[in-house]
Amino acid sequence: MMLNRELLGPSLFLALFTLYAIVAWQIPLLPFEEYEMVTSATLPKVYAGFGILVCLLSIGATLLKPQEQKEEPEQRLDKRDVLRTFGLLVLMVLYSTALEPIGFLISTSIFLLVGFFVMGERRKKILLLASIPVVVVFWFLMTQILGIYLVPGDLWS
Amino acid sequence: MFDGIMLGLSTVLDWNNLLYVIVGCFVGTFIGMLPGLGPITAIALMIPITYSIGADSGMILMAGVYYGAIFGGSTSSILINAPGVAGTVASSFDGYPLAKQGHAGKALAIAAYSSFIGGTIGAILLMVAAPLLAKVSLSFQSPDYVVLMFLGLTAIAAFSNKGQFLKAMMMTVFGLMLATVGIDPSSGTERFTFGQADLLDGISFLLVAMATFALAEALINVVRPEKKEVKSINDSDTPQIGSTKLSKAEVKEMAPSVGRSSILGFIVGVLPGAGATIASFMAYATERNLAPKALKDKFGKGSLRGLAAPESANNAACTGSFVPLLTLGIPGSGTTAIMLGALIAYGIQPGPMLMEENPSVFWAVIVSMYFGNIVLLILNLPLIPYFAKVLAMPKSVLTIMILFFSLIGVYLVSFNTFDLFMMVGFALVALVLRILAFPMAPLLLGFILGDMIERNFRRSMMLSDGSLSFLWERPLTLSIFVISLLVLLFPLKDFITQRRADKAALKASQKHA
Repeated sequence: MMLNRELLGPSLFLALFTLYAIVAWQIPLLPFEEYEMVTSATLPKVYAGFGILVCLLSIGATLLKPQEQKEEPEQRLDKRDVLRTFGLLVLMVLYSTALEPIGFLISTSIFLLVGFFVMGERRKKILLLASIPVVVVFWFLMTQILGIYLVPGDLWS
Repeated sequence: MFDGIMLGLSTVLDWNNLLYVIVGCFVGTFIGMLPGLGPITAIALMIPITYSIGADSGMILMAGVYYGAIFGGSTSSILINAPGVAGTVASSFDGYPLAKQGHAGKALAIAAYSSFIGGTIGAILLMVAAPLLAKVSLSFQSPDYVVLMFLGLTAIAAFSNKGQFLKAMMMTVFGLMLATVGIDPSSGTERFTFGQADLLDGISFLLVAMATFALAEALINVVRPEKKEVKSINDSDTPQIGSTKLSKAEVKEMAPSVGRSSILGFIVGVLPGAGATIASFMAYATERNLAPKALKDKFGKGSLRGLAAPESANNAACTGSFVPLLTLGIPGSGTTAIMLGALIAYGIQPGPMLMEENPSVFWAVIVSMYFGNIVLLILNLPLIPYFAKVLAMPKSVLTIMILFFSLIGVYLVSFNTFDLFMMVGFALVALVLRILAFPMAPLLLGFILGDMIERNFRRSMMLSDGSLSFLWERPLTLSIFVISLLVLLFPLKDFITQRRADKAALKASQKHA
């Protein structure tokens, strides 16, 4: 049977909660906790148990639904939109990686410029005006007026 | 109470704080107008700024952003039928038809006046209700807090959209689990850190709030762009603003609805888990039922009452949602949950002692609400045509700006790039969950209440010598616990009714065949 959208969420959570439960049962207890009713592992175990129960209930409720009700019209995602979103996620990771080595000014300017491009913006005026001047004004406001430190770049210092 | 109001007035009338009220209302309106972005995102984006300005000013700013965002949401509901906030969906039922008939200005004015009256009545009721409840809640003990928080968590799940109860419960549990990451404050044991030093202090509330709301909200608009959002104020079918004047007869027609809806909205807002969305729909339905036949037919086609009722109710509900936050320290909605997180980050524990220990914060928030409503009416109403231009901003620029402000906002608080990586990870998870129709507010509520639940639960267990009897020993604890269980079982009734209806329908169709 294909894993439909209604089952996918609870199944993912079931896997997550089970993993959480396994780790919760391995939380090392300190010697004085041995005879205590509530330890640092008590509530994690309760949460894990309750979470698994809710997931099973949700899966059961979906499976018990009459067949014709299960096939809800799903909103299909456009492949181009998915790729664009994935591109933005990768861009955010790259920005986080580059922020400290190359500094706020350069990394943020590139982030905004590439971000606008990924979003489909091709007008050079908007690409340039909405990135570099915005970053410079933001940097000036933060560092020169509010006195907030913005990383200048480990590579240049 | 009079001393408190005077203290609140003196705090709010400070030039800086007045400026924060105005800035908050402006920024809130601006962000709230953008389709897909609501008050939670608006507040999440403001949190890094509030860290540098102190607790009372920060809360004043965030409260301003809150009702500004609700007001902004009404504007996009009315002008382009794209509610920026769930609480203003009901406003579009009659607001948009009014705008299409060429009365956009009038519809916006009705929204502004109704919001003002709803907010004002809400603020007055808050002034009376909050201190009273705070006094009562002084007698609350740890067991009462455990069951109250349990009630808050179950209520937000029970009041979630139809069929989403179990999903909301999963998100709540997920939030509670995230709250257990880091060093256990009671014993010092490391939990779920996987040897990562960056996780020893736990996961930052700001990071979770920004990732699940601001980032996920921006990304969901990219992965699933709605046709409505493509519209802009320049589109040919977008109505012109026109006159904002109301006639005496129109005011007379709406006045009783506004009064009723404000009180109803406040009461619904106080209930944990309910909030502006339920309040606005309830007010709309009530007014439609109460309206005389001639007016009833107008509902959905541009009824003035149909617009005034949800507008006054959602603003009054926003004010009402501060009652459990300020008096019990329990947020009733995702928005107030973010504010609770911010208060804790300031080192302030909301709850019955807030009024005693930090009266300036307590009263400043209440009084600032009144000022916020005045700001919205005096400054925002004439500026609506200019604000409406915001809707013409290219989506490409807006999305990337939200991503930038979210990332840099978190970085400026922690100066740790690990937080940024974790934030992107959370945003991806939140995005997938949003696509699978999981609500986000229960996650945030669970995450914020997780630590408090654990501390109070441990204290209660210690007081009762390791027995769960604390749940039924005191009548107050038992009453709240029973209510929580009823709330938890409430969706089960719907499920059973639905199952019976399905079976009956199936039998009928088989017979027919």
